[in-house]
Amino acid sequence: MVFIFGFNFPDSTLVKRSLESFYGIGPSVSRAILARHHIHPWAKVGSLKNPTVLALTADLTSMKIENDLRREVQDNIRRLKDMGTYRGRRHAMGLPVRGQNTRTQINTARKLNRIERGGMGRVQM
Amino acid sequence: MFPTQALRARSVWKGPNILPLPIVRPKPGERIAPIKTQARSATILPNFVGLKFQVHNGKNYLDITITEDMVGHKLGEFAPTRKNFTYKQTKNK
Repeated sequence: MVFIFGFNFPDSTLVKRSLESFYGIGPSVSRAILARHHIHPWAKVGSLKNPTVLALTADLTSMKIENDLRREVQDNIRRLKDMGTYRGRRHAMGLPVRGQNTRTQINTARKLNRIERGGMGRVQM
Repeated sequence: MFPTQALRARSVWKGPNILPLPIVRPKPGERIAPIKTQARSATILPNFVGLKFQVHNGKNYLDITITEDMVGHKLGEFAPTRKNFTYKQTKNK
């Protein structure tokens, strides 16, 4: 088990995959992080040396990810809602925001568009 | 209805969509009637803050008080044009 940014990962997880499990890190950002720390794209978490893990965690701490990012997104949506804009209303109703048709196929909007977008967050160890 | 005209791309060289609105600065202690307008695409400028507008939604005019947050948005975003669907019981069938 290795701790990265306060979260526990089994030794056999890919470093790339563990990074992408954080809210706000996707393929391109994780690739940049791996390159910055000279980590092979297929490296497992268990193969990382201790200083590298600490450097990774320090790097992640300086980024706007997980709950900070969630809060920013949710605040932006809440601002729209409180102002009473059409976009805010659409978010609150869980309907498409940018003028898409709503006759069929609005599953993505139903799933994502809400005031508390991004969920409540993972529990940090 | 366009979702938000603020999102739609507008060339920078054009600047914000400034329309001639009948804006009068009230003297202290004097009340003025809200500004009645159909210009839904007019950008809200910083000097609108605190003013009352009546924005057309296609049918009637809705009251809007401009706050500081609204600067940069369009007047039309605050006047919804669609009515929510409600089921109405039909009597003669």
